[in-house]
Amino acid sequence: MTNLATYFDQLLFVALPYVAFFVFFLVSITRYHWRGFTYSSLSSQFLENRQHFWGLVPFHYGIIVVLTGHVVAWLIPRQVLWWNDRPLRLYILEISALACGLLTLIGLVSLMLRRLTVSKIRVVTSKLDWVVLLLLLAQVVSGVGTAVLYPWGSSWYAAMAAPYLWSILKLNPDLTYIAAMPPLVKFHIVGAFALILVFPFSRLVHILVIPNPYLWRKPQVARWYRAPGEAAGEPV
Amino acid sequence: MKGVLHVAPLAVLVLAGPAMGQDAADFFRQNCVSCHTIGGGRLSGPDLKNVTQRQDRAWLVQFIQNPQAAMDRGDPIALRLREEARGVVMPRIVGMDQARAEALLNMIDAESKLEKSQFVGLQISDQPFTPADIAQGRRIFTGDRPLAGGGPACISCHTIRGLGGLGGGFLAPDLTKVFERMGSRASLASWLLAPATPGMQATFRQRAFTSEEILPLVALFEDTGRGGGQDARVGNFVFLLFGLGGAAAALVAFGFAWRWRFKAVRAPMVEAGRRVRGLV
Repeated sequence: MTNLATYFDQLLFVALPYVAFFVFFLVSITRYHWRGFTYSSLSSQFLENRQHFWGLVPFHYGIIVVLTGHVVAWLIPRQVLWWNDRPLRLYILEISALACGLLTLIGLVSLMLRRLTVSKIRVVTSKLDWVVLLLLLAQVVSGVGTAVLYPWGSSWYAAMAAPYLWSILKLNPDLTYIAAMPPLVKFHIVGAFALILVFPFSRLVHILVIPNPYLWRKPQVARWYRAPGEAAGEPV
Repeated sequence: MKGVLHVAPLAVLVLAGPAMGQDAADFFRQNCVSCHTIGGGRLSGPDLKNVTQRQDRAWLVQFIQNPQAAMDRGDPIALRLREEARGVVMPRIVGMDQARAEALLNMIDAESKLEKSQFVGLQISDQPFTPADIAQGRRIFTGDRPLAGGGPACISCHTIRGLGGLGGGFLAPDLTKVFERMGSRASLASWLLAPATPGMQATFRQRAFTSEEILPLVALFEDTGRGGGQDARVGNFVFLLFGLGGAAAALVAFGFAWRWRFKAVRAPMVEAGRRVRGLV
């Protein structure tokens, strides 16, 4: 490996993650403390609802599964490798993950087209939104590309990328696991750190304030409290 | 006090001697045995027994630190070594410097004087492998027989011809012809004993293959090498098609699950609530 490549690896896979996580925690906490009401996805569903469905739903279902997969393989790599010990189980896991990756991509492209083509939505889209969307697009394309060109990621991620990420967490970075990875995989890793870096400045912060109880709480119906036949008006 | 100061450097030398030797032996085990033996015959690289008697020591120290540089400047000895190794170039080894190269040569000199060096390498029979050996190798390759050290199955990153299903991985080279590339059972087995590529080294340094795993793998690779070229990446294409099919099915499911989304939201929920309470 040349000295220049080593230098870039140190910059992108040692310095960048620490900068990204430091900024993430610092800005997320201070923003929540000082400007807590800006923690929002700033939903535009009220402005346009039909196209919104085919972007929002596939994107979120896809990304939630894919991100969960990355976290699980990082937390319990041995168990993931055990699951993948049978080729059929490996193939089922990989196909499911690829389908979710493609759903994410379809949803994201649909959301971006909506922001480009619907005038009301274009007005409420900031430059930072575009930065986040383009970063997400690069990340999802490189992720799907990695899955297709370099199978089987669920196994080699657990065996090679997870130890690297743990080494970052333990403040003892070990680049030997990823030094020889193909450029596309390295791009995907750097893209993840870039997204963590812009996360606290953007509307992505809504991930931190998901109203989880909605998952198990029974639906609540708001009813006007008025006598039958009375005209609709302000709730009493 | 003065006496102590005089003695101290000597003590350091005496203590450092065996420690450096052990360090060099460990380094050799981790980085060199995949291609070299000391007295066990040629693998990918030459047998290093008495190498300092065959070759100038200063040249060796320089070459070990950066083999590629010697090739680049057209060094005739380096070029001959590459030819003898059938084009395989010795990689630049992380952590190699002049002091370590000197220590390695000292260790090789010491091992060369022994009747049987600890680095004589794996001795493998020339007898043909049995179908059972090859089947075991295939089980290890696919992960059906997990590696004792806890490492990932070969299929995670590699493929071979005739694997079936969606095939193996493509992060690392196709191993169909690896036996041909390595040249012999001993070379391949030694390589597996201490893999030399950065990715393999990182992954398997704490999870080394056992000899009970290496022999069936050598049997498998010898067998796959005989049967023709590499498979086309058909499994890869089928994998993409399955993924696209799954995504399309999910989209249809979303459309079906939320098919009433523009017709009513509140009314059906109120209706359901009334039904539960027996008001309907």
